[in-house]
Amino acid sequence: MRPVSIRSIAAAVLAAAGVLLAAGAAAQGVIRIGAPLPLTGPLSPEAQKLQNGMNLWAETANKAGGVKVGAKRMKVEIVYVDYQSNTPRAVQATEKLITQDKVDFLFSPFGSGAAKAASSVSEKYEMPTIAATASSEQVYDQGYKYLFGVYTPNQTLTEPLADLVQKQAAGVQRVAILARNDLFPLAIAQEMEKSAKKRNMNVLYFEKYAIGTLDHASALSQIKALAPHWIFATGYINDLILIKKQMGDLGIEAPVVTMVAGPAYKEFVSALGKGAENVSSAAWWHPAVRYQSKDVFGSTENFNKLFRDKYGLDPDYGEASSAVSGVVLQLAIEAAGTLDRKAVREALAKMNTMTFFGPIKFGPTGQVNSLDPPVFQVQKGKQVVILPTAIKQGSLQLGVK
Amino acid sequence: MLSLQIFANGLVLGGLYACIAAGFSLVWGVLNIINILHGSFIVLGGYLAYYAYAKLGIHPFLSILIAAPLFFALGYALQRALINRMIAAPVLLTLSLTFGLDLMLSNGMLFAFTADFKKLTLDPPLGVLSLSGIVLPVDRLFAMLLALGLTGLLYLVLSRSRIGRAIVAVRMDREAAALMGVNVKRIYAVTFGVGALMAGASGPLLAMIFPISPLSGPAYLGKAFVICVLGGLGSVPGAMIGGLALGVVESFGGLWFGPEHAVTLSFTLLILMLLFRPTGLLGRAGYS
Repeated sequence: MRPVSIRSIAAAVLAAAGVLLAAGAAAQGVIRIGAPLPLTGPLSPEAQKLQNGMNLWAETANKAGGVKVGAKRMKVEIVYVDYQSNTPRAVQATEKLITQDKVDFLFSPFGSGAAKAASSVSEKYEMPTIAATASSEQVYDQGYKYLFGVYTPNQTLTEPLADLVQKQAAGVQRVAILARNDLFPLAIAQEMEKSAKKRNMNVLYFEKYAIGTLDHASALSQIKALAPHWIFATGYINDLILIKKQMGDLGIEAPVVTMVAGPAYKEFVSALGKGAENVSSAAWWHPAVRYQSKDVFGSTENFNKLFRDKYGLDPDYGEASSAVSGVVLQLAIEAAGTLDRKAVREALAKMNTMTFFGPIKFGPTGQVNSLDPPVFQVQKGKQVVILPTAIKQGSLQLGVK
Repeated sequence: MLSLQIFANGLVLGGLYACIAAGFSLVWGVLNIINILHGSFIVLGGYLAYYAYAKLGIHPFLSILIAAPLFFALGYALQRALINRMIAAPVLLTLSLTFGLDLMLSNGMLFAFTADFKKLTLDPPLGVLSLSGIVLPVDRLFAMLLALGLTGLLYLVLSRSRIGRAIVAVRMDREAAALMGVNVKRIYAVTFGVGALMAGASGPLLAMIFPISPLSGPAYLGKAFVICVLGGLGSVPGAMIGGLALGVVESFGGLWFGPEHAVTLSFTLLILMLLFRPTGLLGRAGYS
């Protein structure tokens, strides 16, 4: 048997010291939550929104004394890592947060594609993960137990919209769909196709464009030649601004133009000006909803107010969903009374409570199934809610130039 | 009818591509430097035009005149100060240098301008031109004409002026040019400056059409690469032909195979060209 070298003893001592230090840090009373975000790159506007929401929750929770963990209260700290809008790097960032930064809990990276990719890592380490912005059912179809998402499935957006169009825009028969070749935009486009076909509409065109496409003139020329009544385009904010602008350039007009997911953001309206008029969309939340809740915000109105005080503008769904991810985690930890991951996971699975975002109850796959997503339209430069009827602010206007 | 529209779209796009690639091709052909900074120069030119329009109301077409001398000076200085030190080094080393400089530039822009996309929207908008059923946005059309004009101007300078002939001479044979009394070091700096000028001048044109972000440089650089192979290195007419060809191929590719395959088509074309005609459509063997 080889004698144990000085080197290996030193290494073992250092490792033990490292573990003790890490344990010591956790024992100092801070809950650390990892947040891999696309802080740079084409998806950075989305990351900015997520950061705004998460930071607002962390501040509000800390100001109220921290999260109640059993008998004591602990402050929260969010550990951000930039994955540069690159999904493989999002997976690496997730692994790093869990294994090196030793965070206690995790928020998913942005979007269905990255959330799904990173969920395999968090499942491997049994790390409860809240996905703020993952709506496609495909994200939750791997039977994972530790992933929870606060967006309802894509068809909850397309079905009410298709219903509304069928009822209020009779004669809309020809549909053209242009989808970004990415998990969520493609998934919701496929749901739209299903919703349209279910209502006997004719889907004349369904094509995908590559991620990073700078020019849509070819696809849009083909769409123009087909003279559709309803144009449905999916992508992220920058894609949709470009598509709508090029639609204007090519002189494309249609009774209904729906885009997901961009028109909810102020940037869409400010970049397009009159070009944004009457573009419809659906989202997972809208500041017009009104809920009274027992979470750290207390009500939707209070959340809106705190957000406006801190950032100077009204929140949109990306900012609200990231804030509610923190809220949901906080409620689960408080219900479990401990930071033990299995216990927190159980609390999440059992959750059935009202938050400022709406009623939160997770289905068997981990995706929330209790919310009623709003449909809205840009009218005179403002986002106007047209569904659900309970919070309706206006009616569907036809005709988009 | 649709085909004609697609062809027109392709030509308009192609004109812009030609402008992007001309400077890049020249620098590569003459200095044997793959200038990774080229894409970021274009973006920087775009930001110049954006802020000039937003804050000072200067029309992007005018910004080209402002950008041109600024970028020439920038390129000249950069080459003399840094890149000239590695001029005789293997191509991969100079590529690392320009890559590093590009990282500094694009991250500097990221820090200064943030990653949010900015869109230069002309107010009032220029509208569209409708010619026998083909619709062309006027801003794109003007941009294409200006781009082709710039490229044509470059070609004229290269073929008619003394300094232009000197640049071509250095490209053909560096030692022989030196023997003819050409100050090769100065020519290198001038060429790099011209490359930067072309990039900076195409920035305002592109800013009118595409959203700008500090990280959109690589997309333009990728196009420039393909066009260089298509058209031949160091040849300005080659860049023009290559650019127009790429624009038309991508447009029709989008029509025949669906928009998601348009880019695949252009890179397949690149591979085919490399296999069967590596000097490009207009390049000449030995000058690359």
